[in-house]
Amino acid sequence: MKRRSRVRSWLLWSVALVALAVTLFPFYWMLNTSLKPSSEIFASPPTFVSAQWTLDAYSTIFRERPVGRYFLNSLIVSVGATFLSVLLAALAAYGFTRFFEGAATAFIVFLLFTKMLPETLLIIPYFRLMSELGLINTHIALILAYSSFALPFSVWMLIGFFRSIPREIDEAATIDGASVWQTFVHVILPLARPGLVAVALFTFLIAWNSYVWALVLTTDSSMYVLSVGIANMVGEYRVQWNELMAAAVIATVPVMALYALLERHLVNAITAGAVKG
Amino acid sequence: MATTRPPRARAFARRRLYGYAFVAPVFLFLCAIIVFPLGHAFWTSLQRVRGLRSTFVGFDNYARVLADDAFWHSLSISFAFTGVAVALHMVLGLALALLLDELRSARAALRIAFLTPWMVAPAVGATIWLWLLEPQFGVVNYLLRAAGMIDAPLAWLGEPGPAFASVVAVDVWRGVPFVMLLMLAGLQTVPPEQYEAAAMDGASAWQRFRFVTLPNLRYLLIVATTLDVINTIRHYDIIGVMTAGGPAQATEVLPVLLYNTAFRGNRFGEAAAIGVLLLLIVLALSTFYMRVTRVGSEDGAR
Repeated sequence: MKRRSRVRSWLLWSVALVALAVTLFPFYWMLNTSLKPSSEIFASPPTFVSAQWTLDAYSTIFRERPVGRYFLNSLIVSVGATFLSVLLAALAAYGFTRFFEGAATAFIVFLLFTKMLPETLLIIPYFRLMSELGLINTHIALILAYSSFALPFSVWMLIGFFRSIPREIDEAATIDGASVWQTFVHVILPLARPGLVAVALFTFLIAWNSYVWALVLTTDSSMYVLSVGIANMVGEYRVQWNELMAAAVIATVPVMALYALLERHLVNAITAGAVKG
Repeated sequence: MATTRPPRARAFARRRLYGYAFVAPVFLFLCAIIVFPLGHAFWTSLQRVRGLRSTFVGFDNYARVLADDAFWHSLSISFAFTGVAVALHMVLGLALALLLDELRSARAALRIAFLTPWMVAPAVGATIWLWLLEPQFGVVNYLLRAAGMIDAPLAWLGEPGPAFASVVAVDVWRGVPFVMLLMLAGLQTVPPEQYEAAAMDGASAWQRFRFVTLPNLRYLLIVATTLDVINTIRHYDIIGVMTAGGPAQATEVLPVLLYNTAFRGNRFGEAAAIGVLLLLIVLALSTFYMRVTRVGSEDGAR
């Protein structure tokens, strides 16, 4: 019996390791390529572990390409969208749970509906509107669009969070002389911090990883975000794959770091809805 | 104090006013960013847009789109892409979840590792795969040749069949982790007593899966499949980056056809009509989803 379970464990582990290798190999190859000197990219057979790993590609993309600029654009847009989205979601969630509890469910259904709209359909009017307002090639156009992506999820999550905070706490604060706004800012928001963190993180990741909106709404290469800048490098006459992969590393490292730090938070938030129903 | 006590009605009105102040921003925002553009898109679908000038043409764009073979071809590509990708997401996602559930000691670490493809921007992931699949110097061709599975390097994205298979493969790489995550959470909700009872009855591993695990996950499987179909059928980024719909329209799913019609062909009216048709498909699926999750009923909301 014991022997059988050991064989079984070996078997399961080997399947897991093979699956892991397939899943992670593209990332290894990205990193490996980004560390190769230009002369080695087109080597045949390709080198799996290079003897001459170097950071040349990284210094080149920051010196000769606007990758630093792309990074900054991604950061501005994602942080901006996160702030706006979390603010709107927190206000709405508090408003619904404390003042219009009866309408909260209907609002959630409406939000779920907006979450299902094909983004390519919304891009057409959004692009035309932003053109008319002269907001093409601005951060604000992207911040507004990105704020809407995670909003349904955020409101929905925060409504759940605020519902779990007893009303007596609000009432106690009111008796102590706090205004509605003070109660919200100084009492409720601190209590809801875990929810706010999860929602902010989720919004940031969605904004950082978004592509097609920025593709349409930015035409000036100094306004590209990382995803667009990187995808555009593929279209060049002779692609410098080590530089391209270095840029891809730059684009993926922040999300991986954030994600590794806050994985439990994020995973709990995402699965809560679907599993509990 | 007692002399100036306001009537209850006035306090109530004040309260309402506060309530409006809290929910008004999100309503204004949603109107500006979702509702108005959606209406505008529908309006655009009824017009012929030429540069800055547009003329009302009624349902002409719809007639034109529905009479166009490109639309029906794109629809069938969309269904094929979504069908194959979602089926693979579900099967592989469930398999991975079962595997991780067994490897309890390393589950947390494995979960982080397996989720990475889902955390990365689809457009960036697609770019990495462009390099892996590069015909001349790509490592995929090298590995397959070394393993003796192909004789000559394959132009993965240059031929219709392989191109379709490639974009499906990349979408599967990206989509499996999310299903795995949901299933892994679902597996934790299966009551252990049921496994114990099944084991006492002498059920085999397959029977335990078939008669304990699957029935318990039934609801979650339906929810996850519907969500995944909705997300996959409207996904643009991976195909947009890898093939832009080519070669020979072999990967031109509806969102890509829409994008190409609008931003390459400059035919915004027709593109909007395609978008509205795509929306109808997604709506039908969403209705099904909402019915299953019963999010509209009071007790199901939380």
